[in-house]
Amino acid sequence: MLETEATLEVQQLIAEFQPGSADLIPALHKVQHRYGYVPKEAIPVVARQLHLGEAHVYGAVTFYAELRTIPQPETRIDWCSGPACRLKGGEHVRRALEAVLGIGMEQNTPGDKVGLHLAQCNGTCDFAPQVWVNGKVIGPLTAAETIHLARELKGNA
Amino acid sequence: MLKAYEELRKRAEEAWAAVERPVRTLVRVPVATCSVPGGALETLDALQREVRERGLAVDVGTIGETGLCWVEPLVEVRKPDGSVVLYQKVTPDRVAQLVDEALARDGVCRDLAFASVGDLAVEGVQPLTDVPFWALQDRRLLARCGVIDPENIDHYLATGGYSGLAQALEQSPEDVIKTVQDSTLRGRSGSNFPTGQKWDFLRGKTREPKYLICNADEGDPGAFVNRILMESDPHSVVEGMLIAAYATGASFAFVYLRDEYPLAIERMERAVEQARERGLLGDDVLGSGMKFDVEVWRGAGSYVCGEESGLLASLDDARGMPRIRPPYPADAGVFAQPTNVNNVETYSCVALLMQKGLDHYNSVGTERNRGTKIFSFSGHIREVGVLELPFGFPFRALYETLYPEPWQERPILKAVQAGAALAGILPGHLALKLTMEPEVFREQGVIMGGGGIVFIDDSACIVDLNIMFSWFLEDESCGRCTTCHGGTQRMVEIFRRIASGRGREDDYDKMGILGQALQWSNCVHGSASPTIMLKSAEYFREEIDEHIVNKRCPAKVCRDLIRYEITGDSPQLPEAAAICPTEAISQVEASSTGPAGWRIDDARCIRCDACREIAPEAVQIVEALAAPVTA
Repeated sequence: MLETEATLEVQQLIAEFQPGSADLIPALHKVQHRYGYVPKEAIPVVARQLHLGEAHVYGAVTFYAELRTIPQPETRIDWCSGPACRLKGGEHVRRALEAVLGIGMEQNTPGDKVGLHLAQCNGTCDFAPQVWVNGKVIGPLTAAETIHLARELKGNA
Repeated sequence: MLKAYEELRKRAEEAWAAVERPVRTLVRVPVATCSVPGGALETLDALQREVRERGLAVDVGTIGETGLCWVEPLVEVRKPDGSVVLYQKVTPDRVAQLVDEALARDGVCRDLAFASVGDLAVEGVQPLTDVPFWALQDRRLLARCGVIDPENIDHYLATGGYSGLAQALEQSPEDVIKTVQDSTLRGRSGSNFPTGQKWDFLRGKTREPKYLICNADEGDPGAFVNRILMESDPHSVVEGMLIAAYATGASFAFVYLRDEYPLAIERMERAVEQARERGLLGDDVLGSGMKFDVEVWRGAGSYVCGEESGLLASLDDARGMPRIRPPYPADAGVFAQPTNVNNVETYSCVALLMQKGLDHYNSVGTERNRGTKIFSFSGHIREVGVLELPFGFPFRALYETLYPEPWQERPILKAVQAGAALAGILPGHLALKLTMEPEVFREQGVIMGGGGIVFIDDSACIVDLNIMFSWFLEDESCGRCTTCHGGTQRMVEIFRRIASGRGREDDYDKMGILGQALQWSNCVHGSASPTIMLKSAEYFREEIDEHIVNKRCPAKVCRDLIRYEITGDSPQLPEAAAICPTEAISQVEASSTGPAGWRIDDARCIRCDACREIAPEAVQIVEALAAPVTA
């Protein structure tokens, strides 16, 4: 493997992790924490450190919903897909977000300004329907409020 | 009792006394996932600022959540006279009023007062035990939630915490297992496997090291039972694991905690750290020579990792694909070593059982299921929250309390969905006959599950709900079994087709075939995935038929079967036009096709409902009544 400054940095970042010690996901979390996502270049480094195949590591990255392969947007909107949100108009919220931002789930607007992510219920169902803007729960949202929110985020972007 | 424990407890009691009998007013704010969105952190900040700026002789602290989600942000005020008052919905802008009336002088802020706690009555404030939601409960597992500071191990110790471990260490591991078996405790995740028997399997294995897993991957949408325990009483989970480790001979544990619960991760990590500092974890637990440690392991977003063998695969550095069994975890679990997997609530139950003893634990519940179970409630109800109920509690009493209005004014309880996407769905009239016990649910062909209960009224469409659940199951299928990844895809296709008006009479036959084929899946994710579909076809056939035969969605939810139309006039119409994200609303001149006025261009309309929210008297949802579409 060709060693570059970037791969050396990843190497250092995950040096504490060992093969066969339940360390793959913790290593990927650490990479994602540092870069905001798991860059393609990091996968061979993680694979070598943990004595795993690159395909095996890539398989894990794409298996888990919270590991990202695209850069973290400046503003990330997590749309809750849970049942309480659905019952109270969550689909309206999703349609409004997608229409205003012009993107679908797991996509970012140009320049990675705003991104949409389909999230799983975290049990703050008292605030349904809701989104989490950079981790902060916002709800209960009407469709009109969602449109104002998305326009504002898009305008600021 | 162990000397090391006695010393810890003694030290802790001093710290706790300052809370129980404060020398000056003590204000505490629940900081938890259900209170933070309502502004609990801002409220806490504002309280600290007010107290500092006014130079009040008041202490400010934090506690865990009570489970009363709908009154958050909650604030508890403890006075030296022994009175304790809970104030509800104390948003940051109301803090000044609370400080004026309840802290700056000796009084009660009546506008915000919710309930009084404890034996001392407070004039004009209802006791908490009179709040209908609260009164349903028998709080045992939740006894410390909303009472102690979950980040303070002393609070846990002083309220009897870790005494269960101390008791266990003075018995033989076999006796501990016998106590667990006598309690009838069964896995609280929904699996209902006898916990004592599981422990006995691991006890019998001689291959070292042995592992424990705490399954904290509470991925069931609408369930937040384990979250409250981990956030508001994390040490009870650690203690339960310690007791299990002693009984089974395990030396290390992983808490597999879902990524979606960042605060629970933080609190559990802190609890483990504190337990280590106090000698409760490590090479010599409480001086007994027992060696045990815990790692909080953060998941990465996968529902199927809540399935025990998927979880183990995930820990073993791979995709979380459930394995073929046997071997079972007791023979070959994590790293192919003997392993025992229990969920969060199960471990908390063990801590409670050992602290309070078998008689106390068994004093409530039914013959088959002793003790209590925690449930979380969401959906179409007023009071979203968490309750601890004895097994066998009648569902009807629960529903009537969660919906305090008179029966006539209550929306129709169309359906109840317990135990999330794999567990099934029941029509309201059958759900009201249930009692909260796994066997009773099973008699109806559904599963009680981990405790998440979703109430559904008649504003929901059963076809739409099936699209949601089957899509979720398709998305979360690990992909190993063709029956599962292909079968769940077919489920989505069938319901999407029905929702779009292209349903066929023989779709019911296809559901039946799918239901059978899915049984051949390796794990429960596949085999249980058709439950909601089949129950829907059984109980909601009339509604599905409306979609298939008459191309109508009675609840007016399915987007292809409805149309938004401007049927009246409203001064809000210009605003409605402006909000439309697809510019589908415009003003038209009079022409041969109709008079002047506002129109919705149906081809552009995405059915987001924003215009109707703004101008409800002018915009209506009408049936699209499309000519029969051929598939």
